[in-house]
Amino acid sequence: MPLIECRQLSKTYRKGAGTIKPLDGLDLDIDAGRFLALMGPSGSGKTTLLNLIAGIDRPSEGALTIGGQNIAKLSRSRLAAWRADHVGYVFQLYNLVPVLTAYENVELPLLLHKLTRRERHERVATALSLVGLADRHDHYPRQLSGGQEQRVAIARAIVTDPQIIVADEPTGDLDKPSAHAVMELLCRLNSELNKTLIMVTHDAATAEYADQTLHLDKGRLVEHSVQAAFSGETATTRPEEGAAR
Amino acid sequence: MRNLPFEYAARNLGRSPLRLMISVVGSVLVVVLATSAFAFVRAMDRSLTGSASEDNVILLGAGSEESIERSEISASVASQAQASVFGIRSEAGKAFVSPEVHAALGVALGPDAEPAGQAVFRGMTPAAFAVHPQVRLTKGRAPNTGADEVIVGALAPTRLGVDDERLSVGESIWVDGRALTIVGRFAAPNTVMDAEVWVPLTSIQTLTRREGVSCVVLTLDEGEFADVDLFVKSRVDLELAAIPEADYYDQLNAFYRPVKMMVWITAVLIGIGGLLGGLNTMYAAFASRVREVGTLQSLGFPRRAVVLSFVQESLLASAAGAVIGALICLLLLDGVSVRFSMGAFGLLLDGPTVGFGIAAGVALGLIGAVPPTLRCLRLPVAEALKAT
Ligand SMILES: Nc1ncnc2c1ncn2[C@@H]1O[C@H](COP(=O)(O)OP(=O)(O)OP(=O)(O)O)[C@@H](O)[C@H]1O
Ligand SMILES: [Mg+2]
Repeated sequence: MPLIECRQLSKTYRKGAGTIKPLDGLDLDIDAGRFLALMGPSGSGKTTLLNLIAGIDRPSEGALTIGGQNIAKLSRSRLAAWRADHVGYVFQLYNLVPVLTAYENVELPLLLHKLTRRERHERVATALSLVGLADRHDHYPRQLSGGQEQRVAIARAIVTDPQIIVADEPTGDLDKPSAHAVMELLCRLNSELNKTLIMVTHDAATAEYADQTLHLDKGRLVEHSVQAAFSGETATTRPEEGAAR
Repeated sequence: MRNLPFEYAARNLGRSPLRLMISVVGSVLVVVLATSAFAFVRAMDRSLTGSASEDNVILLGAGSEESIERSEISASVASQAQASVFGIRSEAGKAFVSPEVHAALGVALGPDAEPAGQAVFRGMTPAAFAVHPQVRLTKGRAPNTGADEVIVGALAPTRLGVDDERLSVGESIWVDGRALTIVGRFAAPNTVMDAEVWVPLTSIQTLTRREGVSCVVLTLDEGEFADVDLFVKSRVDLELAAIPEADYYDQLNAFYRPVKMMVWITAVLIGIGGLLGGLNTMYAAFASRVREVGTLQSLGFPRRAVVLSFVQESLLASAAGAVIGALICLLLLDGVSVRFSMGAFGLLLDGPTVGFGIAAGVALGLIGAVPPTLRCLRLPVAEALKAT
């Protein structure tokens, strides 16, 4: 059974008299342990889909089953608790809390779990050394470079050991070397820690890091390419099937 | 559980020093205002209710029940009441019956000087000390019957707006060009008498060219108010009214209710102004954190955690202001006396008053934080994450 199952997933916004449908009857299955890249023109619904999978938004129609649970049916507060347990989110603009140090930023999501101070400390230390920033634990975000901020944000996303990591243009604001470092890190999360990764990107080179790329247009999957990781070999299947297995 | 760390609230205070200052100053302002208003109203209440003695009944002219100063009755009422009313208290052969003249008179500080101000003069006999046990001589002696001597209450200088020194024992004051020597000082804390000048009954009768008195105050022992009332009704010819002293001052207190209302309304209006100003800066400060709050929610923090943290932050600022405000009040307001038409009273700055002021400041911090926080949380998480 796939980890994530989208069935006829739609999102509708009212705009004045009419409506906008950034997602339109989307069917998609994602197996556990996948690294999936989402591409598509601006406004095609990439962030919308990512937010639905991350439990940050709720679909207007359709079912979204993650780990056997239809999260479309959860109440707002249940959904918040679900997010804390199951998803780590990496943002384009890092979204670190400016008044908290790198350590405290990474510790934040752990406060939502029943852990002792010592257990939290161990986890934060592990996460920070994983992203190579153990020595920067007492730095505030303003004292870090963009690439370092993003790595702290990645540490924050994985510190609770969630099954799923979603990233919305995680390298969109970074220069090439920093972007490369961040992507290497995300790949390691996928290959070494077996995290299921879903990443939105505009950049085909960045999408190369993923083992599969899906293309969205006007809220629908138009094609998808399966890449044997880093081999550059691409296969295309019919869009309606949209299964990432 | 599932709360944001306290450090987040504390460090958020430092994000905008200007806003922090406005919050603290606003809280100081509110605390000072609330404390002053409460101290004023409570002191006024206390001076009017404290003026009455439980067992006292006032006899005054029928039709002048609201104002002793306007009442005029025969000087013989005192002896007739003493003879006819059952159950008047007495000690060592002296009955607790005090004939008094109450008159507001201009007081000058020299023979030809203009009056410096008005004080309430009470023409009295030694019996006045018996029926008004709140009064204690603090310096000197009581005035001699028939002499042009006075004793001066502790707050009378405030009432007249002159230095306390100027009214020391041995000094003189002038009323209508006539010199009165100060032979004593008295205190009657928390009563209207504290701001009065006491003068022998015969001297004030000469001074104000009257033969009668304003009222007679009786202290009852075994007697009841009905006994006094019976006397009043049986002696219609004397044209008297009887009123328990407590009722008289209650009625006076009611008369000053609009003044107290004005004080409260002014304090509340200025407080609301402060609140709106504070809200404005809070809205601005919290509006810049929309994306951050969206991020916190995306991590799984419930909205409640954000509200709690922002309220904590606001409370820290307002509590700091409240402490400063309370200190300012204790330094500046303690011992301050206020004049009003009845005399003067010292502001009442005790635990409950200061506590009320601090509570007002802190409550405002609490109320002031909630609407901006809810505003900040208004957007769904997905939209909040797009905010700049
Ligand atoms: N809260 C909203 N209210 C109304 N319309 C919205 C809202 N959020 C998104 N949309 C619309 O939904 C469509 C898809 O938005 P989405 O953010 O998913 O696009 P995207 O593919 O991530 O684009 P980009 O690459 O520019 O980030 C857009 O047309 C957008 O205007
Ligand atoms: Mg987007």
